[in-house]
Amino acid sequence: MPRFLHTADWQIGRQYERFGPEDGPVLAETRISTVERIARLANEQGVDAVLVAGDVFDAQTVSDRTIRRLFMAMQGYAGLWIMIPGNHDAALAESVWTRAERLGAIPDNVHVALQPGVLVFAEQHLAILAAPLTQRHTYIDLTEWFEHAETPPGLLRIGIAHGSVQGILAEDIDSPNPIAPDRAERANLDYLALGDWHGCKRIDARTWYSGTPEQDRFKSNGAGQLLDVSIERPGSEPQVTATAIGQFPWLQWHQQLDLPSDLDLFTEQLQQLVQPSVLSIALSGHLDLAGEQRLHQALSRAEAFHRYLEYDLQELRLYPTEADIGGLHADGYLGEVIEELRQAQQGDAAGTAREALVILSGLLRDRQGEEGAQ
Amino acid sequence: MKLGYLRINQFRQFRQAVEIRKLDPGLNLFCGPNESGKSTIAAGIRAAFFERHRSSSVDDLRPWGDSGAAPEIELEFEHAGEAFRLKKRFLARKRCDLSIGEEILSGDEAEDRLAAMLGFQFPGRGASKSEYWGIPGLLWIEQGSGHELRSAVAFAGDHLKSVLGATLGEVTSSSGDEVLSHVEGELGELLTRTGKPRGRYREALEQVETLSQTLGDLDESVSRYQLQVDRLSELTAQQALDDVERPWEALRAQQAEAEAKYAQVQQLGELQSADEQALLKCRHHMQVVIEQLHGFQTQADELAERKSTRDVLHQQAEELAEQQLSTREALKQATTAYDLARAVDRASRQQAQRRGLELKRQTLSNQLVKLTSAFDQATALDATLQNQKRELAAVQLGDKKLERLQQLANALRDLEIRQQSIATVLEFDLDAEPRLILDGEVLSGKGERRLLQKTELHIKGIGKLTIAPGGQDLNELARQLDRAREQLAAELDAAQLDNIAQAVQRVEQTRALRTEINGNERMLELHAPQGVGTLQQELALLREQVRQVETELLAQPAGDLTTDVNQPDVAEQQLEQASVALREAELAERQLQERLIQCQQALHTAEHECRQLEARLASPQRQQQERDCNETLTVLRHEQAQLEQGLDNRAKLIETARPDILQQDIKRFQASAAQLQLTNQQRKEEIIRLQSQLQAQDADGLEERRGKTAAEYASQRRRMQQFEQRAGALSLLASLLHSKRQALTRQLQAPLQKHLNHYLQLLFPQAAVEVDENLVPGQLVRAGQERGDFDLLSFGAREQMGLISRLAYADLLKEAGRPTLIILDDALVHSDAQRFAQMKRILFDAAQRHQILLFSCHPAHWRDMGVPIREIDSLRC
Repeated sequence: MPRFLHTADWQIGRQYERFGPEDGPVLAETRISTVERIARLANEQGVDAVLVAGDVFDAQTVSDRTIRRLFMAMQGYAGLWIMIPGNHDAALAESVWTRAERLGAIPDNVHVALQPGVLVFAEQHLAILAAPLTQRHTYIDLTEWFEHAETPPGLLRIGIAHGSVQGILAEDIDSPNPIAPDRAERANLDYLALGDWHGCKRIDARTWYSGTPEQDRFKSNGAGQLLDVSIERPGSEPQVTATAIGQFPWLQWHQQLDLPSDLDLFTEQLQQLVQPSVLSIALSGHLDLAGEQRLHQALSRAEAFHRYLEYDLQELRLYPTEADIGGLHADGYLGEVIEELRQAQQGDAAGTAREALVILSGLLRDRQGEEGAQ
Repeated sequence: MKLGYLRINQFRQFRQAVEIRKLDPGLNLFCGPNESGKSTIAAGIRAAFFERHRSSSVDDLRPWGDSGAAPEIELEFEHAGEAFRLKKRFLARKRCDLSIGEEILSGDEAEDRLAAMLGFQFPGRGASKSEYWGIPGLLWIEQGSGHELRSAVAFAGDHLKSVLGATLGEVTSSSGDEVLSHVEGELGELLTRTGKPRGRYREALEQVETLSQTLGDLDESVSRYQLQVDRLSELTAQQALDDVERPWEALRAQQAEAEAKYAQVQQLGELQSADEQALLKCRHHMQVVIEQLHGFQTQADELAERKSTRDVLHQQAEELAEQQLSTREALKQATTAYDLARAVDRASRQQAQRRGLELKRQTLSNQLVKLTSAFDQATALDATLQNQKRELAAVQLGDKKLERLQQLANALRDLEIRQQSIATVLEFDLDAEPRLILDGEVLSGKGERRLLQKTELHIKGIGKLTIAPGGQDLNELARQLDRAREQLAAELDAAQLDNIAQAVQRVEQTRALRTEINGNERMLELHAPQGVGTLQQELALLREQVRQVETELLAQPAGDLTTDVNQPDVAEQQLEQASVALREAELAERQLQERLIQCQQALHTAEHECRQLEARLASPQRQQQERDCNETLTVLRHEQAQLEQGLDNRAKLIETARPDILQQDIKRFQASAAQLQLTNQQRKEEIIRLQSQLQAQDADGLEERRGKTAAEYASQRRRMQQFEQRAGALSLLASLLHSKRQALTRQLQAPLQKHLNHYLQLLFPQAAVEVDENLVPGQLVRAGQERGDFDLLSFGAREQMGLISRLAYADLLKEAGRPTLIILDDALVHSDAQRFAQMKRILFDAAQRHQILLFSCHPAHWRDMGVPIREIDSLRC
């Protein structure tokens, strides 16, 4: 029974602006190690082929080193790799592919379909109908010819394409390259392996987006997986299993902190994350000074544990309690200043007021610490 | 704080101890001349508090030249219900002892306690200086420094604020200023004083700027690269298409086709021009033949024409001959009519002549009668005239003569009158028969006579009477009378006159004769203007004329004058008409004759020509020629039609083929093919160039680098924003702290203001003074004067204001429960009498609340303070 892995949107060479020069390269590196894991998985599972449905590279002009590293990462699986270019790495006159060829970086077991056409792999019982992108964007359906394409009888008809299935995906997906939603049926395909959509998505029983194997944005939709596909024989319904393969989940939290217990709940949630992740937290609501201190401790701990943590406290207000102010010995006009800053958090410059309050309370705490030490 | 006891020993002026006991809780006056030691007492008090007992920098406390002395001060005072006793010895056997009630303190501890209580500091090392003196420095005024307020307040500032702050309870902040300075410090690391980023913040900004630039460059490179790739792709596709299609070949084929067509057209053109030559020749030949035929035809036509002319002429001749007959008849008639008219005319003329002569004779006869009559009359008149003239000559008497005569007569009469007047008057009235005769005259009837001379009167029957007139002049008169009578008579006689009347008559006669002569002469002139002779000649002439006419008449044939012959003018007109008619008839006849002759000549010529032409036309050679010509023409016509048809068809072909456009086509296709091949070649070169360029760029990992730069940029931006936020927060905090602190200061200023005003009103009624942030009096506002800054006041005023301010501080401090001792060393020396008086009132008032030690060298000035004046010298023990 032919069995293959369906993956796409590796986006090798992708850089992450928001993570800065320290964490960004690590996350970029992660995408290559994920390919290594895919190769390992393919090898372990002994599948017949690995199909990569476009956007292997994030850009045409990645460095030679990156190109070589990718193909090296694929060495873990000596079986059949079938790739098509997507919109990010379209088979242009001069492309990452022409360069890879010039570099001699592409191993023999890797088949890159730079032209539309049928690739026949009789041994694996696979006839691959490849619809690579030869331009960055097209407005015609490149899979249309699948319907008239002849394939040797007895082989599975497997389509591989990159683009957006019309009428199903959201409007703001990556590329305008359209694909008819009923292409698999109309072209009598056993399976249509699609790329471009970074989440894992089933269009119908024979048409799937595998999504990117390593999550690269907070909008999740089941990214970080690949599809393990088995098809009994031509015409049989494929058995598709989504397998997690990604290293870092990307999580985006919005948390409202109003009650002291909200903060408890939040810190608890934070502690419950056992897998190092890429975290983006936006907090709103309000805290007293003690709560603010606890929050910072919790965030500092999480920052150390996770791959990356960013938090947005713009919407969070600091409302020092009487106890806070007493505790800080903010007597005289300092008390008035604290009150004023507290009030100012209702206005336009709320962030600045909060920050000023944090600084002031920090100073007062430090002073107290000094006094205590004395 | 009330000082009760003071003892100073071995201290500067005071080598021996001085002692002041029972100091008043209010004002204490100490007086003494200069150098008496007033300031030394004040200095002693200062030293007791400000100098560390163990200080080695206080040598100046010793009396001059006494290096072994141990300056010693002992003080007793009371404050807040506690009794204080301080004893301090410097330089030798240094010691400080302080007892507060039961509590005993010594050394530094004692000194620090006092410093805290009074609000001053000790220096780290060396002698104490004014900046450490704090509140006492403000209240204890040294000689000559009463006007220096600002620095004193500044040195007391912190103590004042904390002391005063305490009175305001919770308002102040124990750590506010510290926090503020900390915040400002941190802000200063981020922003310059003018608010521009500095330090790390600025570096981050610059980094962002640089990275943004780099990123922009990279973006541009990426887009350039992509454009190049697109270009390459496009070129490659075009080249592939070109290589397959080889479009220039198609163009070359088109070119060849166009060339072939063009060659065909050219061939057609040659044929065309050959045919055109042939056609030209054919037409020429035809022209010749046609002209020949035309010549033949012309001859025939000529013959026909001649014949017709001949016939016409013949006809004409006949007609003319016929006409000639009638013309001749008409001529004859016209001649007859003419002759007749001429006869009539002649007769008419003769008759007219006769009538004319007759008329002339008649006229002349009439003339003759008239002239004869005139002649007769003229002759008669002439005769009459002759007579009259003779008569005139006979009777002629001129008016002058008459006048002479009349004068003479008058003179005579006068004389006679005179005579008679003197004469004897004989009047008589006689009856019956005259019987009286007087000188022969018979008198009868009644009368009178004048008697001038002896007169004889005869009376018939009676006798004679002689009457002799008397008078003296009668004789003379009678002589004169005689002479006059003689004269007159002579004259009359000469004029053959009898008397005057006759003379008058003769004058009348003369006049009448002359009139008559005049009339007759005019008559004569009428009848014979040229005289009778002329008239006679005329008459003779006329008679001759009459005779001639009568002779002519006799010569005239005796015509029948009775027959009414036409008038000569009518006859002449008729003759003229007849003459014209005759002339016309003659002319017509002559013309007809001429025409006839011409006609006959022309006819003759025509007949001759006709014969000649007929002869020529009838010749067989000529007939043959004409036949030949006709045949040739038919052949030529056919040939021409064929040529024309051919030419026309070929021209259409050529026109349709458009050789000019074909030539353009050839050029166009040729150029296009060349262009395409060139383009192909150029494209090939550009592809190679682009490929090599792109490959050269590839290795860079352009977009990967861009990604990395973007990440760095974003990170730096975040860092910059953090700085920005922190700077914003610090600025906010600093400004808030400042404003709060300022508000607090203002709260502190208020009570000071109150106390200040209390004293100020005593010195300057209605004046006001503002206290600034540093609790120093600022501007002084007095009624009717400009506001003046404290520092700009006069020395005296500053001293006064300085004292007032210090007193106000003292009031404040007192309210806060702080010790207030006021020492004035030689104060108010610069005040005028009036101000000085006011100041004394102020001092007295202040002394109600504070203890005041006042040192002066003018005891007289202070007599009115109600307290005893202590002499310094009296204090020496």
